[in-house]
Amino acid sequence: MTIQRATTRLTRGTLRRQAGRVASATLGLALAALLPAPAQEGAIPRAFDGRPDLNGIWQAIGTAHWNLEDHPAAPGHPDLGAIGAIPPGQGVVVGGAIPYLDAAKAQRQKNFEKRLTDDPEAKCFLPGVPRATYLPYPFQIIQGDRKIMLVYGFADANRTIHMDKPGPEPPPLDSWMGRSHGRWEGDTLVVDAQGFNGQAWFDRAGNFASARLRVEERYSPLGRNAIRYEATMTDPAVFSKPWTIRLPLYRRLEENARVLEFKCVEFAEDLMYGHLRRNPTR
Amino acid sequence: MNAFYRLAPLALGAAFLATAAPAARYHHVQITAASPSEAVRWYERHMDCRPLAGRNDSADCDGVELIFVAQPTRGSTQGTGVNHIAFSYADLEAKMADLEAVGVRGSGVRLQRFEDGATWRDVPGRFKHGFIFDPWGTRIELVEDPGHRGFHHVHLSAADPAATLSWYREAFGGQPAKLNGRDDALRFGDVWLLASRHPDGEPAPTRSRAIAHIAFEVPDIERAARGMRSRGIEFHGGPGTPERGRTQARRAFAAGPDNVTVALVEPGYAGVAAVADAGPDSRAVENYAAPRTPWGEPDLQGVWTGNAAHGIPLERPAALADVEALTPEQAAARRERGTLGSIWGYEREWRDTTLGYDKMRPSTQVAMIVDPPEGRLPPLTPAGERMAAAARRERERRASAPPAGPEDLTPYVRCITKGVPGMMMPGIYNNGLQIVQGPGYVAIQKEMIHETRAVPTEPRAPAGPGLTSWLGDSQGRWEGDTLVVETQRFNGRSPYRGTTAAMQLTERFTRVGPAKLLYEFTVDDPAVWVRPWTARFAFDLDDEQYELVEYACHEGNYGMFNILSGARAKDREAAAAAP
Repeated sequence: MTIQRATTRLTRGTLRRQAGRVASATLGLALAALLPAPAQEGAIPRAFDGRPDLNGIWQAIGTAHWNLEDHPAAPGHPDLGAIGAIPPGQGVVVGGAIPYLDAAKAQRQKNFEKRLTDDPEAKCFLPGVPRATYLPYPFQIIQGDRKIMLVYGFADANRTIHMDKPGPEPPPLDSWMGRSHGRWEGDTLVVDAQGFNGQAWFDRAGNFASARLRVEERYSPLGRNAIRYEATMTDPAVFSKPWTIRLPLYRRLEENARVLEFKCVEFAEDLMYGHLRRNPTR
Repeated sequence: MNAFYRLAPLALGAAFLATAAPAARYHHVQITAASPSEAVRWYERHMDCRPLAGRNDSADCDGVELIFVAQPTRGSTQGTGVNHIAFSYADLEAKMADLEAVGVRGSGVRLQRFEDGATWRDVPGRFKHGFIFDPWGTRIELVEDPGHRGFHHVHLSAADPAATLSWYREAFGGQPAKLNGRDDALRFGDVWLLASRHPDGEPAPTRSRAIAHIAFEVPDIERAARGMRSRGIEFHGGPGTPERGRTQARRAFAAGPDNVTVALVEPGYAGVAAVADAGPDSRAVENYAAPRTPWGEPDLQGVWTGNAAHGIPLERPAALADVEALTPEQAAARRERGTLGSIWGYEREWRDTTLGYDKMRPSTQVAMIVDPPEGRLPPLTPAGERMAAAARRERERRASAPPAGPEDLTPYVRCITKGVPGMMMPGIYNNGLQIVQGPGYVAIQKEMIHETRAVPTEPRAPAGPGLTSWLGDSQGRWEGDTLVVETQRFNGRSPYRGTTAAMQLTERFTRVGPAKLLYEFTVDDPAVWVRPWTARFAFDLDDEQYELVEYACHEGNYGMFNILSGARAKDREAAAAAP
């Protein structure tokens, strides 16, 4: 019975999808006629308002989630063999190194040494910004007329980018993911994010910021299937000057691509509560 | 000792010697209250203020007006630049005893006890004093000042108290004086203006908090504003006659120190006439057509809450078998039981104002289940009976012994999920539902725990049978104005009333009015029930006020540490007691 139902739905779905394609192609033509001819960006899909249409499922590819800076291959937890090893990677920090203040550099080293227990990612904590962007999982952009929602699979994280507020409002309270206000500068979506709680890290190497962090993100479409992502971090408590990361985000092209729920809490429970089990695991 | 009095005494700044403005009179305090008329009654009953004739939103407290405005609020006065207002009584001990007897329920009185549990204290060199909160979050000090009864002072919380007092002196005059011979203050007639050092950096803005602003009456508002502007003070607005002003008298809003909004009013100012119904229209509208997104889909976007629906039981109570709907009074009482009854009374201010409960008329719906029509879950199948019995035994096992580990606690306690449809059900707090749409997708975000479902409205192939998850795999479609979401592929670990992994869930979201979103769900789980069942309730739009906060549930789940370490302590006790 279940199989029968699924088959019916699929057939109906296929018909509907074909109809939808025709309709959106027509709409696309109509919009294209209304819009000023843009230079060199014919491949960028356009939304109803002529802005780039960033809707879709995106993912960073690379090793930024391991370490934003250049890093050679290194061992991981010995129990995991090569699976746990840190792969080598080229940094994504523009200019090479994160301009830490001296005291903060020492903290980064401490973080690194205690990363197996202290990294918020290990604990399945909300990843913060910009880390959520380049975690090794896809995320979805849902771009409408008033808000843009970013839905990340990891830890059920999400962000609402307010496109309908004239200027950044003071964040009502500190949070892991901050408060985000967006605007368009030409074809670039610029997001001002602040109101962080200072507990998130940037990567598995212990790079971090304080609650004074302010992130300006820039999402610039590079055609249909890629976005140039830039994030500039300003935090006078931790860095001597603002610094920027730059990396591409790629559209997931699988026909069935979706952001899968990754509710990771239960996988962190041994790490966090194993010593409190009746039969302790830690 | 209360923190406010523990702070360093002020230095008498040279700024006090600066030229003072012509004397102003302390005029009013604007308080944000979900129900202004209720607030007037509260201050009449408990603070001996008098209602102003013909006004249901203002009270006169010894010449100082309290003006109550029903506005979105972000909570109490604490943390802002206006820490509290104060009233003086002849016998503080008796007054505090009276207030303690009122209790916290309903529009009660919330006492702020001292560390030793006392409601008031007598410190040498101070007046006897104690603190309470009104139901809307205004912190109120009660003092026993033999020199003056009634409205006593406004106590500011300042990054630099001396500079703040000097600012008020320059702007409004006021007589430098020392309260109790030691605390620097300004006197405006009988009213003292005090300032203590803010404990933690810069105070939060008063805008949108319980005390939204404080106001001074000036003889010539143009002149006063001009003088303040010339000293670089910024104005948020005015001078001008406010829209819906009760008189032609003008007012202006200055950006005071410490993020305090300071109003200037001219003689004759009598506030602003209230709008009849400040709340959004939450009724369904006949033949209502939902607005469209620019790309042509029904527009369900916004922040909604289940605050009106909170308290509706899933199943129809036997005693209400023939009742079509509750009376508004019964509905209000039911919600009151459901919310206030389950939490501490001090949450009322938070519930009413921050969560916006008071704007939402409680639903009169008797029960959520509409099919079967008798409003009860359908009979269980034999397998369903066995599963229900097993679930009952498991609950009893868990209740009878301390948890061995996280797995003995519910996914909700563990901050994993409430499952579906569990996550959609109204809860007392963090009840927000945010919907954001893009072409072909509807994001449905619930605030509690923070769970987001990105539902496609264009067909896509379902997830394979091997890919199960807590919230399942959703496929949406539009049926007219209704968003229909079908979900399957559950992992079956977050059952709702006994649902299994095989459940087929169909949800229907219909905007039935500008501010009402009907939510209906059908559970088809043939292994458990002999037939599908359908339930329904409505969400109400609260887009103006409500913003989902980040409910970082797992990140702050100290409860898990406490429950499990408590369980291990019980284990040790049991082991020690064993022969």
